[in-house]
This record gives sequence, structure tokens and C-alpha cells, in this order.
Amino acid sequence: MAKQQAKSGDNVTRWIVIAMVSLVVVTGVVFSIFSQNSKEAASLAALDGFKSKGAIVSTIDADNGSAITFNPGLAKTVDVWEDPQCPVCKYFEDANGEYIDSLIRDKKATVRFHVLSFLGDESVRAANASFCAAEEGQYIDFHKALYRVQSPLENSGFWSNDTLVAIGNKVGITSEKFAKCVNDGQKVDLVKTNYDSMSKYGVQGTPTVFIDGKLWERKASDFNLDEFRAAVEGN
Amino acid sequence: MRNFNERFQPVITFLARLVLGGVLLAAGGLKVFKPTESANAVAAYKVLPTNVAHLVGYALPWLEVALALLLIVGFIVRPAAVVSGLIMIVFIGAIASVWARGMLIDCGCFGGGGEIDPSLASQVRRTYFIEIMRDLGLALAALYLYFFPYGKLSLEKAAPSTKEQ
Repeated sequence: MAKQQAKSGDNVTRWIVIAMVSLVVVTGVVFSIFSQNSKEAASLAALDGFKSKGAIVSTIDADNGSAITFNPGLAKTVDVWEDPQCPVCKYFEDANGEYIDSLIRDKKATVRFHVLSFLGDESVRAANASFCAAEEGQYIDFHKALYRVQSPLENSGFWSNDTLVAIGNKVGITSEKFAKCVNDGQKVDLVKTNYDSMSKYGVQGTPTVFIDGKLWERKASDFNLDEFRAAVEGN
Repeated sequence: MRNFNERFQPVITFLARLVLGGVLLAAGGLKVFKPTESANAVAAYKVLPTNVAHLVGYALPWLEVALALLLIVGFIVRPAAVVSGLIMIVFIGAIASVWARGMLIDCGCFGGGGEIDPSLASQVRRTYFIEIMRDLGLALAALYLYFFPYGKLSLEKAAPSTKEQ
């Protein structure tokens, strides 16, 4: 009889512990969700006071995977394959974005941006908006702005069409046409063409960079400007 | 073999708890305060709808830590082992699935995760194989704990009635 009682007391303790452990897990999850949400709300503020160095007209190079192309026809070529949501692409942009910008503005190289979209719906939307911005001659700023506000969490709902239009506005793309192009997904065909051209060029992931048509393989553990510049100017 | 198990079972149970609990504690602990990274890592498998994947990414580290603590201190070991074993099987399935689909991702098992820098593509298959073997080993440890949950240095002792039989 006494044994029975001890046993049922044990059982109660077990259930209490199970309940407490579950409570800790649930509290932790709620904590995690809230810490993520507050991070995202702050991020468009990063574009306040964005300074454009001026719009530059780009073209769509149908012969090279329909990439967004600056300075077509120069001897030196740089092909950048990236997905707007890819975090490593942001590291690449942080390290080398300004240098690539200068290659374009000083007409030192033909630069082609292959805008990919394999990381989900928000990549497709951001890629579509990128081609819309390119049509306005403002891809260079839009590209920079996208990486500056890139959400650490992919497909979180942050890059809605409204947010993408707002990002455009912040960098000076204010036309109705741009907003309509983003909202209607007018460039999804180009988005698809870019995505489909990956296999043709043997691109398996992002960022992938070709310099003069040759795959650039980084040796350093992190992206650094010196290595990239040497690779572009070396050969 | 049976003799061996009879003799050393409490020690084996203790070691199984430490190994399984230790790995879970490391895996969970490294991710528990990086919810964004963890949510991305789960979404990168492209098995679940994104929203659900994010939620799993938030929850998994906490679950791993909770299971680890129960296993290490030795309380409600059997249920904890069952859940641990089940999530190991899910991990094996998830890694096998990305491998089969030819995707290049970091499993995010101990933090990190997501698409891999393409220049590392050649190592990825080997890594998938090692990860599957590791999780298989841990699933076997969980299975052992299901059959023999009571061992050395445990808060929980076998109920007297089961011992008498």
C-alpha cells in the first residue's frame, strides 16, 4: 500500500517536471520570435540619408543570360551572380561593392549582374524589383540599398512589394512606372531567364564571380578587397 | 554478450546519456541565442513551408537543450530518449533529402547553416555522409536508453516493482 502511494507521488513529480520543461521551451521560442521581429523593424532606417553617386544606364544582355549589364563591349569583363537574399553575397558586396561601383563609373570593365532567385519568394520579388530599377537607370543604387537592408532572416515577409517600392523611393526611384513594375511583377520573365541560365554557366550557388569569363576562386577565408582587386587587375 | 550487458548496463546507460545529452547540449546551446540563424538554417532545407520552417528553427534549439538536461541529470530518461531518437531520425531524413536533391547547404547542426559558398562544393557530400553516420550513432544511443533508461549517477531510479521481476 505504502509502495503504491510512493509510486503515484513519483508520477506526479514526473508530470510536473515535464510541464516545467515544456514551459521553458515555449518561453524560449516566444523569446526567439520577438527578438527577430524587433530587429527587422529597424532596418529601413539604414537608408536614411542615402547618397546616390548618380544614375547609370544599364542594358539587358540577352547573349549573356539576360544579365543587367554596364559598359558593354569592354575588354575586361566581370560577371557577378548573386541572390538578393544570400547572406554571403552581402559579405561580398560589403567588401567589394564600392570597387565594382568604381569599375562601372570609370568605365574600366564590362560588369554584368546576374540576379538570381533560388532562395524563395522574396528573392523573386527582389529580383523583379531589381530589373524594374534597372529600367529606370538606377540599378546600381537599388542594388546597394537592397544589401544594406537585407533581412538576416530569409523570406520573413520583409521584402513585400510595398517594402521594395519604399526602398526604391529611399534611393530616389520615385516614378509611378517603377511602383507598377514592382507590384505587377512585370519582369518575372527576366528573373526566370537569369535563373535558368545558371546551369549553362555552371553556377551552383552564390556569390559566383567570373573575371574575363574565368571562375574566380577566392583563397582567403573572407572576402577582401585586395584579393579581389588583384584578381580583376592582374590578368 | 548478454552477460556483458547485464554487468555493465548501468555504466553503458550512463555513457549513452552523457554522449547523447552532451551532443544535444552543444548543438542546442550554440544555436539557442541565434534564433535568426537557426530559422534560416531550417528554411534552407526547403522541406517545410517557410513560416513553419522558421518556427521549427526557433523551437529546435530550446528543445535540444531541454532534452540534453533531462538526459544528463537522468530524469524521465525514457521519454527524453524517445523524443531525441525521433528528432535524430528526422535529421537523418532531412540531410538525406538535401543530398538526394543535390543541394549544397550547411546542416546548421551546431549553428551556422544555409547555402554554402560554392567554392566548397567538393567537400559537401563527404560532410553529409559523416553527419548521417553521426546522427545514426546518436539514434542508436537513444534506442539503448529506451530499453535501459536506469543507470549510474541518475536522479531517477528504477521503480522497485520492475527491479523485483
